[in-house]
Amino acid sequence: MQNVVIAPSVEFVEVFQTSNGAVFQSDKENCWYIDFAGKLARFDYRSLMKLRKAVYAIDIEMILMNSEKTADLEIVFICACDHCYVLNTLQILAIRELIEGTFVMLELNRILHDRVYRLTA
Amino acid sequence: MKDITRVQCLLSTEIEALLNQQIKKEAQSSSAYLAMASWCDSHGFDYSSDYFFKQSEEERMHQMKIFKYVLDMGGNAISPEVTNIQLEFNSFKEVFEEALEAEISVTQSLKNIAANCYKEQDFVTIEFLNWFFKEQREEEYKARRALELFEVIGEEGTGRWEIDKHVNDIEYNSEA
Ligand SMILES: [Fe+2]
Ligand SMILES: [Fe+2]
Repeated sequence: MQNVVIAPSVEFVEVFQTSNGAVFQSDKENCWYIDFAGKLARFDYRSLMKLRKAVYAIDIEMILMNSEKTADLEIVFICACDHCYVLNTLQILAIRELIEGTFVMLELNRILHDRVYRLTA
Repeated sequence: MKDITRVQCLLSTEIEALLNQQIKKEAQSSSAYLAMASWCDSHGFDYSSDYFFKQSEEERMHQMKIFKYVLDMGGNAISPEVTNIQLEFNSFKEVFEEALEAEISVTQSLKNIAANCYKEQDFVTIEFLNWFFKEQREEEYKARRALELFEVIGEEGTGRWEIDKHVNDIEYNSEA
């Protein structure tokens, strides 16, 4: 994060953070920035949904049980999206945690809007 | 913080997934009816074959209706893969038994979606589903009536020929 300059910072809200990464929302751009695996990547609504689908589709159990001597690397590739992650097993667990937490927070934000702002206009 | 996901899509992730599941179910019904039409035709039951052709087209229409709804609400409609269609039947009667069983399972699946909609107060989707509930009334009625012909007419002698002739006359016209 320290190399990235985004101004003004108020338009950048943290959605969820773990010790391995963070997700920020830009209300102005209607998108999210994911700081993970050494890079900051931009995701719009469609690509964020695709990322979640791709991450949840990884069979972690199978990777852990795999005794073959091949590298435990998983490529998370999202169609029509600029980014692609090449992750080891620990990173897969980490990004899963990050994405799960992010969607819980987005859900919470939805509830807040539904129950507070949208009813008290 | 803006509620971007809600702005993009009216449906929750769960309801969107359930609707996509239903899209698949309708596609499967359409293919299953087509297989029944084929079986009936090749066994000389022309009227029943016509009946199942029509049913197959109706199921395709149901599929498209849900497909477009998901898209219109900002969701991602998934073109389903259809596999494991039953092509062979042991008897003329078994075809109709399978048809009724399939309709019952569709009704059940729609009820499950509505139950989830109530849970999260998605009244918009419930209103959309109401058309399907009325449709299922007709679908189950017709399938049940067809099966009843086997009891009323009987399969002996020219029975099956008589049954086949009457299948296409089955109509449901309740005003309620
Ligand atoms: Fe249907
Ligand atoms: Fe049907």
